[in-house]
Amino acid sequence: MATERNSVELVDADTVGLFARAALLAALMGAASYVSIPLPFSPVPVTLQVLVVYLAGLYLGPLWGGASIGLFLAAGAVGAPVFAEGKAGVGVLVGYTGGYLLGYLLGAVLVGLLVHRSLDRLRDPAETSLPVLVGSLVAALVLIYALGVVWFAHVQQVELAAAIGVAIVPFIPGDILKIVTTIAIAKRGVIDPV
Amino acid sequence: MLTYEPDETVAHRLDPRSKLAVQMGFAVAALARISPRALLALSAVAAVALLAARVSLARALYAYRFALVVLAIAPVVSAVTLGSPWIDPAAAVTPALASYRVLLILLVSAAYVRSTPVRDSRAAIQRTVPGKAGQLLGTGVALVFRFLPVLLADVRTIREAVAARLGDERGPVERASRLGVLGLSRAFARADRLSLALQARCFSWNPTLPALAFSRLDAPVLALAAGLAVSPLL
Repeated sequence: MATERNSVELVDADTVGLFARAALLAALMGAASYVSIPLPFSPVPVTLQVLVVYLAGLYLGPLWGGASIGLFLAAGAVGAPVFAEGKAGVGVLVGYTGGYLLGYLLGAVLVGLLVHRSLDRLRDPAETSLPVLVGSLVAALVLIYALGVVWFAHVQQVELAAAIGVAIVPFIPGDILKIVTTIAIAKRGVIDPV
Repeated sequence: MLTYEPDETVAHRLDPRSKLAVQMGFAVAALARISPRALLALSAVAAVALLAARVSLARALYAYRFALVVLAIAPVVSAVTLGSPWIDPAAAVTPALASYRVLLILLVSAAYVRSTPVRDSRAAIQRTVPGKAGQLLGTGVALVFRFLPVLLADVRTIREAVAARLGDERGPVERASRLGVLGLSRAFARADRLSLALQARCFSWNPTLPALAFSRLDAPVLALAAGLAVSPLL
């Protein structure tokens, strides 16, 4: 066993705090995948995961919000049953939902960048103006859709139009609902920002 | 649900790094080509993986039952045409083969999931990803495993409490935002306690890791992983 012989190098308090929040948010993202409504005619189930992606960007910023979704993906890849319907493994990352999963990571980073406009100085989401909130959430959703549908069409070898019909259209009402919900949560201002 | 189960199979004795390498090699090989001959060869590899981890095919398929529905839909959607002859079976062949290869990738993942404990996965991550990023990634993955059941119980408690107060008869936005606010504030409260506990226990950048070692058994497995990864070039 490679025993460490150097003196202990402690992780500073701010980093531990943000890291713990990122890890717990990643676990919450996993729990959200069990709150789902399977749709009979669509391949990707409707879960609350996108809601957690938005919250990661809003409350942890681009750096730690992205890290949080990254932890979620890594835990799923090595076997935690955190992906939709309790799936796990590297296979899911490259399977037909792989584009959405990558979109979640980049979506959280995008929301964080647009709302906080800084890598480490975070502002209170409750004080962010409504147009900025709506704009950043919609931009993240468009990014998630774009990556998701292109990857879906490539892996399943179907036409882009068919992929849009199966993998985007059924989710639009649910996703608009999740944007409204996120704004309601942010504006209520009951969650302590870091 | 398919999770880690202690056992003495060949797959259990392998180093987690070689098992991760095989999965990645397999994914590269499966996504590069779609010919029936390549898929036949990959099916054989997937069957060996399931056998090595002692996962029965029926059990793996049951675990992925929702995915099977999805995989069946893609060929059907492609076969349907607008206008005569309405159904074009030839158009469904390529999507059907594509669906089959995704199923094979999922089966190989099932073998890894059953044969690898969390501790080993964490050590594999920390030894592969260098520096502070690897430390946080390894610890963070272990924390996600630890807190997933806790937060699932939190979410269940919140939903039951809301239902007991007839909150489930409210509109969807109000229901989802209540669940979101309560779920997130509970998770962050747990995170703040966890961060205090980590600092009290000297959470550091350089702890001693659990031992991992490649054995002779890993050599053919690593060779297979490399072979699969370069197979699209042949």
